Amino acid sequence: MQIDLQNQLAFFLTGRRSSDSEPRPSAIRPALFARYRDLTELRYDFPLVIAHGAPPEKTLRSLSRMVDDAALAADETDRLRLARHGQRIERAVRKHLAAKGPGDFATVWHSCASELVTEDAVIGDSAMTLWNSFATDGDILDADAAMPARVVKAAWNSVQAEKAKQFNARTARLLHALKGILLAEDIGGGAGRSPERLRSAVGSSFAGAFDFNELSRILVSSKPATALSDSRRDRINQLIATIEGQKFYTESGESIGFVFDNCADAVRSHNERRAEAVKLLRALAIAELEAAGNYREKTHDVLFENYGHNGLELSELGQLPDYLICTDGGAIDAAETARIVEVLAAGLPFKILVRTDDVLEPSVVAEGHVALGLRSRQIVDASIGLTDVFVLQAAASRLFANRARLLSGLSYDGPALFSVFSGANGHTGDFSPYLVAAAAVESRVFPTITYDPSAGGDWASRLDISDNPSTDDDWPVHRFAFEDADLQSNSESLPFTPADFTALDDRFARHYSVADDISEAMIPVDEALRSAPLRDRVPYTAVVGEDLKLRRALIDNRLLREAERCRAMWHSLQELAGIHNSHAERLLAAERKRAESAPAPDQSPVGGAPVPEIVTAEPETVAAEPSSDDPYIETSRCTSCNECTNVNPKVFAYNDNKQAYIADADAGTYRQLVEAAEGCQVGIIHPGKPRNPKEPGLDDLLARAQPFL
Amino acid sequence: MTAATEQASVNECLLKLYDEQHEIEDYQKGVPRWCSGCGDNAILAAVQRLCRDEKLAPEKTVFVSGIGCSSRLPHYMNTYGFHGIHGRALPVAEGVKLARPDLTVFVNTGDGDCCSIGAAHWIHAVRYNMNMVMMLHDNQIYGLTKMQASPTSPLGLKSNTTPRGTYLDALNPLTVTLGISNVSFVAQVVDWIPELLYQTIAAAYHHKGFSFVRIVQRCPEWLPKLMDPWLHDPERVLLLHHENGLRVSTDLTRTYRKLEEHDPSDINRAREIASSWDPIPVGILYRDENVPCYEDLRHDTRLRTSDLIRNGLEAEFDKFTVWPETVNA
Repeated sequence: MQIDLQNQLAFFLTGRRSSDSEPRPSAIRPALFARYRDLTELRYDFPLVIAHGAPPEKTLRSLSRMVDDAALAADETDRLRLARHGQRIERAVRKHLAAKGPGDFATVWHSCASELVTEDAVIGDSAMTLWNSFATDGDILDADAAMPARVVKAAWNSVQAEKAKQFNARTARLLHALKGILLAEDIGGGAGRSPERLRSAVGSSFAGAFDFNELSRILVSSKPATALSDSRRDRINQLIATIEGQKFYTESGESIGFVFDNCADAVRSHNERRAEAVKLLRALAIAELEAAGNYREKTHDVLFENYGHNGLELSELGQLPDYLICTDGGAIDAAETARIVEVLAAGLPFKILVRTDDVLEPSVVAEGHVALGLRSRQIVDASIGLTDVFVLQAAASRLFANRARLLSGLSYDGPALFSVFSGANGHTGDFSPYLVAAAAVESRVFPTITYDPSAGGDWASRLDISDNPSTDDDWPVHRFAFEDADLQSNSESLPFTPADFTALDDRFARHYSVADDISEAMIPVDEALRSAPLRDRVPYTAVVGEDLKLRRALIDNRLLREAERCRAMWHSLQELAGIHNSHAERLLAAERKRAESAPAPDQSPVGGAPVPEIVTAEPETVAAEPSSDDPYIETSRCTSCNECTNVNPKVFAYNDNKQAYIADADAGTYRQLVEAAEGCQVGIIHPGKPRNPKEPGLDDLLARAQPFL
Repeated sequence: MTAATEQASVNECLLKLYDEQHEIEDYQKGVPRWCSGCGDNAILAAVQRLCRDEKLAPEKTVFVSGIGCSSRLPHYMNTYGFHGIHGRALPVAEGVKLARPDLTVFVNTGDGDCCSIGAAHWIHAVRYNMNMVMMLHDNQIYGLTKMQASPTSPLGLKSNTTPRGTYLDALNPLTVTLGISNVSFVAQVVDWIPELLYQTIAAAYHHKGFSFVRIVQRCPEWLPKLMDPWLHDPERVLLLHHENGLRVSTDLTRTYRKLEEHDPSDINRAREIASSWDPIPVGILYRDENVPCYEDLRHDTRLRTSDLIRNGLEAEFDKFTVWPETVNA
């Protein structure tokens, strides 16, 4: 046993294997994968249907959900049959796609259904009912290397189609308004009132009843002709020509020539179109002003002369189609990586898909060195660091689940990066790309990350990692049921760590050594990471071989370190997303300590003095009453009835709110002040004392003024 | 604020660089021919103030009216206006709003125009809940035709048509409106408290939906003394205030001390308040922002090109056309 432990320690520390008698490591797989091999027998969200011509939120659909929805929508009598038959066809479709690759949805569905008709004749009818209920034309595809690009392109297309719809509606509205201005001039000007035009307007039936020359003469002489200035007419004609001649969207809502497979071509194309974009966006902005009648040559001419001089803003560029760049992560070199980050940093409306097939490729720097997902991670980290780039990192298996986030990124008014791990690296034997991609998410090697700058100003609003399993923990833990040596059923909790993920890849076989026996020195990977440094312990992970026997595979130190690195990166992601935040935890600990050490608060005796209710009294501000010698009006109560202003508009005037005040008491007589006071419907005029003691009839006036003093 | 929205605002600035500033006089047209002291002047001043404060473009604003003293108001507004036929201000206004939802529509009508000949339109306008402000100038008398009883005239009022006094209780426009389906805004105000009048009309303007404002108005010519007890006794005015309704100033509460905190979402209390007359409740009785507007439900996204309109009209006319060829044949 001692020798065994020494050999195991030697393997752990150096990677050297003691004997060749062990089962071939390439034949092992993580214990949690024991049940999963042939995915075509399982029901899950893939394959996906890409619907043609559907609105963005309905472009990506899951076949399973379509079948369920169709069955649920059917009559109760048919529901069960449709669900059962639908699931059988679904299984056949999965097998078909696994064998033959993606295809046209209608062809695949009907051919799979027709194969099953030989077994059960009613299936043909069910297939047709379900098909009619789908009402979807499109392509069907499973997870493979090409899937991410197809999905992103389809989503991009649907988003662009929506944009085109809005753009075309806007240009139609503006053109309608601009042409309306010209038409109004035509009708209101001399041409519209010429005898010929009047004759054509009346039509043939009653033409004889009119003298059009006379009618024209009367109309022309009775109303001045409205004419546009020459500069305005020219401007409107130019705007119409520019808007009608635009080449960014077709009438049917397509945007052609905006999809590229590398940054250089996309940037070149963007620069070539720049002048045209400036011209069009300028025309649209001016057209808006013209349509509203707000274009002022004096103010706007200078501004629009320099339009776009300082580059166009994203909110403006956002009206035009976005550029989509679908790159292959495996083929990206350092220079292209740098270019991607540069393009994203430039704030251009570029949506970049970086597809990675292999997150387990060996490092090019050091032999035997492992750096999980290094390439994609670099781009994602740099993009998040730019702070205004929408970033979505998701494995292909989670792409459908994250379709809303994908659409948000594509609709985002700015650059966006989509880093997708396809799982199709060719080193995972007969495990499907879907499973490999799912395992990368599960093991935190390729966690789902969304960074949405439009969601808010802080990390808590922008960063979202909620799509990952068990976000609060280091690793997702699963219950694993097995039969023990005494043939009794047993179960164990197994975490899924990077050491399990790499067990799928044949290039990592040399980092595993399958132990025949169980020893106390063995420690599960997750515990090993928690209890570092290890002393006389060897980390292992549970695996199964071809014979489906549960074994322990020891891993070497290099793999353990890599698992540790993954965990550290996950921890920093968690912190940024507000889980186990170290600052908050420290603060909490300090506050707890303080609370514990502080003396207990005094207990007030029961029935003590009640806390007085705080009442904020309105401060009584008394406006200075004008002296009753001077005439005055309670202006804020004036109902603008013109009574006083009719008496003498020099004495009584209206303020900005059309309420009366005494503008000049000396501009009229005391009699007028008294009469106005008497006439005021709401009694707010106070005539004061007479200013001219020689005014006739003062005694009588003073008596009349008495009620208003 | 994100980078994207900051940038959007720069572009907005460019478009809004020319921001039209108006004075109250810019909205005034002609000299009102109402009797001196008439409460209509107060309403005119309040809407002009609102137009200025909300920077309403005159060419995007429409005042629609029916017949009566109240209905002269569009003549004095330097905006678009439509002095319609008796009782039909609302159908005209609804047509304007349906065809041009971008316009701000106000309706000025009186107690005869709305509550008598136009009562059917009034009920359905409330139900349609189109986004406009309706001001019911309620002076409780037919003034333009020189003093005949209106549906809201108080019981026993002697007029040219009721020399022995009216026999019926006055119709209460508030309780009627509050009883109609889809009611979304009901307020009452008096013409002699300008600040409150302005605030209430402003609140009505900001409400998306059909805002019904009954303005209790004095007629100094034909019923000079009718409202005096309320006008001269602040204790006979009940101010309704709430954080979701009107917030009254201390200036106002110094004079009008009778206050009730009333939540405008409480329709049952609103109906109780609406039934009371003395003191006169003023403020927002009821408001529900969630009632859908008819113009939104029936919004037509098609561009209203001249071809579309002509073809639509032709199709309608064709249904009734007698073709000469057919007749001759």
